[in-house]
Amino acid sequence: MAIIERPSDTVALAPSGAPAVATPDTSYGVFRRPVHTTGWKSWLFTIDHKKLGIMYGVTAMVFFIIGGVEALLIRLQLAGPNGTVLNADQYNQMFTMHATTMVFLFVMPMAAAFANYMVPLQIGARDVAFPRINAFGYWAYLFGGLLLNSSWFLGGAADGGWFMYAPNSSVVFSPTNGVDFWGLGLQITGIASLTGAINLIVTVINMRAPGMSLMKMPIFTWMVMVVQFLLLFAMPVITVALFMLMFQRSFDATFFSVEAGADPLLWQHLFWIFGHPEVYIIVLPSFGIVSEILPVFSKKPLFGYPLVVFSGAAIGLVGWGVWAHHMFASGLGPISVAVFSVATMAIAIPTGVKIVNWTLTMWGGKIAFTVPMLYAVGVIVQFTIGGLSGVTHSVAPSDTQQTDTYYIVAHFHYVIFGGAVLGLFAGLYYWWPKMFGKMLNERLGKWNFWLTIVGMNLTFGPMHVIGLQGQPRRMYVWTENRAGEGFFNIGFWNLMATIGSFVLTLGVLVFLINIYVSHRKGTEKAPLDPWDARSLEWITANPPKEHNFDRLPTVGHLDEFFHRKYEDRGEGERHDYHQVATAEEILAAEEASADKHIHLPSPSYWPILLAFSLPIMGYGVIYNLYLLAGGALLALVSMYGWGMEPHTAPSDDYDPPKGTELEVAAHG
Amino acid sequence: MSHSHEDHERTMSTDVRTTRRLSSVRSSLTTAGLAVTAMIGLSACASNAPQDTWQPAGENAQKIHDLQWPVFTVAGIVGVIVLVFIGVIVFRFRDKGQAIPEQTHGKAWLEYLFIAIPAVILAAIAIPTVGVVLALAETDDTECIINVTGQQWWWEYDYEVEPDGSICGFAPSAGEASPIITSGQVVIPAGTNVLLRGTSRDVIHSYWIPRLNGKRDMVPGRVHYLRLQSDTPGIYAGQCTEFCGLSHANMRMETVVLAPADFQRWLDNELEPYKSPAEGTLAKEGEATYITQCARCHQVNGLVDDKGTDDTSDDTVVVSYPDQFVFSGAAPNLTNLMGRNTFAGASWDLLTPECREDVWEASPEEFGEKYLAGVTEDCLNDIDLREWLRNAPAKKPMYADAELLEPTDGKTRGMPYLALSEDQIDQLIAYLLERK
Repeated sequence: MAIIERPSDTVALAPSGAPAVATPDTSYGVFRRPVHTTGWKSWLFTIDHKKLGIMYGVTAMVFFIIGGVEALLIRLQLAGPNGTVLNADQYNQMFTMHATTMVFLFVMPMAAAFANYMVPLQIGARDVAFPRINAFGYWAYLFGGLLLNSSWFLGGAADGGWFMYAPNSSVVFSPTNGVDFWGLGLQITGIASLTGAINLIVTVINMRAPGMSLMKMPIFTWMVMVVQFLLLFAMPVITVALFMLMFQRSFDATFFSVEAGADPLLWQHLFWIFGHPEVYIIVLPSFGIVSEILPVFSKKPLFGYPLVVFSGAAIGLVGWGVWAHHMFASGLGPISVAVFSVATMAIAIPTGVKIVNWTLTMWGGKIAFTVPMLYAVGVIVQFTIGGLSGVTHSVAPSDTQQTDTYYIVAHFHYVIFGGAVLGLFAGLYYWWPKMFGKMLNERLGKWNFWLTIVGMNLTFGPMHVIGLQGQPRRMYVWTENRAGEGFFNIGFWNLMATIGSFVLTLGVLVFLINIYVSHRKGTEKAPLDPWDARSLEWITANPPKEHNFDRLPTVGHLDEFFHRKYEDRGEGERHDYHQVATAEEILAAEEASADKHIHLPSPSYWPILLAFSLPIMGYGVIYNLYLLAGGALLALVSMYGWGMEPHTAPSDDYDPPKGTELEVAAHG
Repeated sequence: MSHSHEDHERTMSTDVRTTRRLSSVRSSLTTAGLAVTAMIGLSACASNAPQDTWQPAGENAQKIHDLQWPVFTVAGIVGVIVLVFIGVIVFRFRDKGQAIPEQTHGKAWLEYLFIAIPAVILAAIAIPTVGVVLALAETDDTECIINVTGQQWWWEYDYEVEPDGSICGFAPSAGEASPIITSGQVVIPAGTNVLLRGTSRDVIHSYWIPRLNGKRDMVPGRVHYLRLQSDTPGIYAGQCTEFCGLSHANMRMETVVLAPADFQRWLDNELEPYKSPAEGTLAKEGEATYITQCARCHQVNGLVDDKGTDDTSDDTVVVSYPDQFVFSGAAPNLTNLMGRNTFAGASWDLLTPECREDVWEASPEEFGEKYLAGVTEDCLNDIDLREWLRNAPAKKPMYADAELLEPTDGKTRGMPYLALSEDQIDQLIAYLLERK
C-alpha cells in the first residue's frame, strides 16, 4: 500500500536487514502499473485524491440534476388538486428516488468530493493514506448510483420511500425489481462510504503536517473526521439491514415477514440507527465549510474554535441516541418516547453552540460579502429556521401531529437544503479557484445565491403551512375537500411551493451557466490567494501540483497561512496587524526549498475493476446467479491483481508531469 | 454583547454604547413578539381546513395543543432574535475599510452563557413534554374500546359487545347486541373516553384524526392504542399518514362524534335485522346482482340467498369469503353503507357537494339528526359511485400491473375490475341506497 511518508532527504527504505523496498527496477509484481498523466486514462486509473475529488464532485452534480428533475415532477404533480402529471405508481417511485438520489448520490458524495480534495491539502499531506482504496470508493459510488438508476429502464424504480419500511418493501407489496435495485445500489455506495471513512480517519490521524496538533487542525477537516467516524459506525447498520432486505426479497428469508413472527419495527430501528447519524453525516461537512468561510471573510479566527470542535463531536455522539424520534408515532411506548424526546432536545444545545459561535465570529469583524460568504450567512439563517422547527417536533406529543406531514418535509429541507446544500455551494464558490485555477463570476454568483435563497424559501416555507394544515407526505394527489379556505388554504401554498421550486431551479441553472462563463477562453487565471484565506490548502499553487506541496509545511498556528501573512505589531491590549508577506512570496519560499524526493503513489488498474465487479454481482442477485458468480470471480481476480501489482511503475515507463523540475522519485 | 473590536476612531463612550446595545436588544424583542403575535393571529384566521393541527376538538388534541403553542412561540421568538442579530451584524460589521480586527479566539464566559440559555429553555420544555407523553399513554380511564384494523387502503372498525351486553357503554334499546363491523367512518359517543385498539392486516398504516389526537401507527403483528375523545358532535377528518403503498393518498378516515342520544339511535339502527328490498323493485334485482357480483368479498349482515324460490328451507345465508380474493383477507362490510357518507377508504363522498356541506358544516346541535338521515336518493353522489363500480382500480390505483400479482397468488389488493354492465350498476345502486 502506498503510504506517503513525512518529508525526508532520501527515498524511504525498509529497515536494514529486511529485503529492499521495491523500486522501479526490482518490482516483483506480475502486472505493470498504468502511467498515464494525461488523457482519459489518467482519470480512469488515477488514485490522486484531487482528481478523485473532482470526479466525486462532477458525478454528484449530475445526480443533483437528476434528483432535481424528480423534485420538479413531484412539485408539478402537487401544484393543483388531483394532479395528473404522474400516476400513483410513478409518483411513488419519484419521491423514493428523489430522496435516495439527493441523500446518497448528491449530498454525501459532494461532501466526499470536498473531503477528498481538501483534507490532504488542509493537513499538509501529499495524498490520502490509502490512495487505491480511495479510487475504489469513487468507482463503487459511481457504479452503485448507476445500478440504482438503471431500475428506471428495467421495470420501474423503488417505490417504498427512501425509508423503505417493512413489510411494504417485500415482494408481495412491491413486486417490481425496483426495491432490489435500491437495496443493492445502496449496498454498493455504502461500501464506498465505509472505505472512504477508514481512509480519511487514518489520513487525518497519521498524516498531518509537523506541528499540526489536533487542536490546530482546520475546522473543516475536524468536521470531516467526525463524519467519518459516524460513517464508520452507521454504514454497517444499514448494510446489515439492506442484506436482510436482499435475502427477504431474493432468497425467501423471513426477517420482516409478520406471518413468520417478525416484528416490522426491527427494520425501523435498524434504518433509523443509521438514518439519524446520517442526518449529521449530511450536515456536518457543510458546518465545517461554513466554519472555514466565516473567519476568512470576517478577518477573524473562528470564535470558540475548541467549543465548535467539541460541539461537532458532541453532535456526532448524541446523534446516536436520538434515532427513535423518527418513530414517535410507531408505538414504542411512553417511556421510550419520553427518553428520546428529551435526548433530542439535548442535541439542540451543541447545534445552538455552532450558530452562536458563527454569529460571534462575524461580530466585530471586517466582513466582505463575497458569494461564498453570502452562502455561509445563508446557511446560518436557513439552518436556524430548520433547527428551530426541529425543536418543535422534539416535543414528542407535538410531533405526533406533525410527523409524516409536510411540516416535516419543510423542516428537513431547511436543514438539508438550507444547511447542507447551501454549505456545499459556499464551498464550491470558495474553493473553485483552488481546484480549477479560475474564479467563478461573482456577479452571476450573486444571482445564483439570491435566486436559490428566494426559491428555497418559496418552495419549503409554504410547506410549514401545508403540514400544519394537515396535509400528509407521500400522497400523489390532494383534494380540494380537505384544502380549507382563507389565507392558510392548502391549495394556494401548494402552488406557491411549486412556483418556488422553479425559481430554485433557475438558481441552479445560473450556477451551471456561471461555470461555463468562468471557464470560457480568455477568462483570467484566479489569483493565488483570492480571499485572503487562513488555512494550509492556500499555501500551495492553484490548482495544486500533483504532489500538493513542494515542501511539506510546518505548522505553528491554527490559522497557519494567516499568521505567515500577517504580524501583530500592537502592544499589550492594542492590536495592529500588518501584512508581512504575500501568498506569492510564501509560495516562492516553499518552492525554493522544495523537498528533493517526493514519494507519490502510482495509478492502478485494479480499483476500477474491483468496483466494476460489484454491479455485476448486483445484477446477478436480481437476474441470474451465474452472473453473480461471474462478478464474484472478477472481484477475486481484481483483489489478487491489487495485491500482486508492483508498488511502482518502472522508471522508463514514467512520464513525469510537465512544469516541474523536481525529481519525482520512487513513484510507489 | 461584548465588543472585541478596539478601533482608534471610535469615540463613543461605553455608556452610550451600552444604552444603544440595550435598546437594540429591546427592539429585537419587541419585533420578535410582534411577529409571533402576528403569526398566531393569522393562524387563528385559518378557516375550514378539516385536518388543521391547530384546531383541537377534543381533550387529547387539546393537551398536545397546550404544549405545542408555547413551544412554537418560544421557537419563533428565538428565531427572530437570532435573525435580527445576524441582520445587525451584517450591517454593522461589513467591510468599510476598518482595520483588521483582533484575532480573538473566543470568550469562555460568553460561550458558557450560550450553552446555559438554551439548556434552561429546553429543560423548561422537556418537563411538560414528558407529562403529556405519559398522559396520552393513559388507558385506565377508558369508557369504550373500538378495534380498528388497517389494510390497503381502508380502515375497518369492530365494536365489541362488552360482558354486560353493551356496546361502548350503550345497551341496545331492544334485543341483544351483536358486534358491529363498519368501515371508513367510526362513530363515537360525545364526552366518552374512547380507546382505539389497532393493528393491520398487511403493511403499516397510521391512524390520524388531527383535531382529536396525534397519529399512531397500526402495525401488523402488534396492537397499538390511541385515545379519542370529543365533547362536540361533528365529523372529524383524517388521513392515513404512514406510507402504505400505491393508494396511500386514497386511504382516509373520519371520526363521527354523536351526542349520546344520537349514538343510541345509531347503535339501534346498526343492530336492526336485515330488510330485503320489496319484490319487483330495481333494488330487489340489485340484491341478486349483489349476491353474484359483490357478496364474495363484501358482507351484508343477514343477507339471505332465496334462490328465487318460495321455499324458505332452501335459503342460504350469504357469507362473504374475501380471504380467497383479497390479499389482506378483508373487504368493507356494506350492511349500512348509506349510513356512512363516504366510501372506498373514505376517499369519495356518497353525498353530493351541497348535501355534504349541509352535514359536514352542521352545528353540533343539528349534526346528529343530519348525519343519521344517511344518504338519500336525492343526495347520492352517483357520479363517483358509478365510476367506482365501473372500474374501481381506475379510480383508486390498487396494483400497477395484473401480471405483478404473482407473489400474492393472484389475490388483488383492493377492489378489482368487475366488468359490470350499466344495468347491473343501476340495480346495485338501487340496492345499496337501502343499506342504512
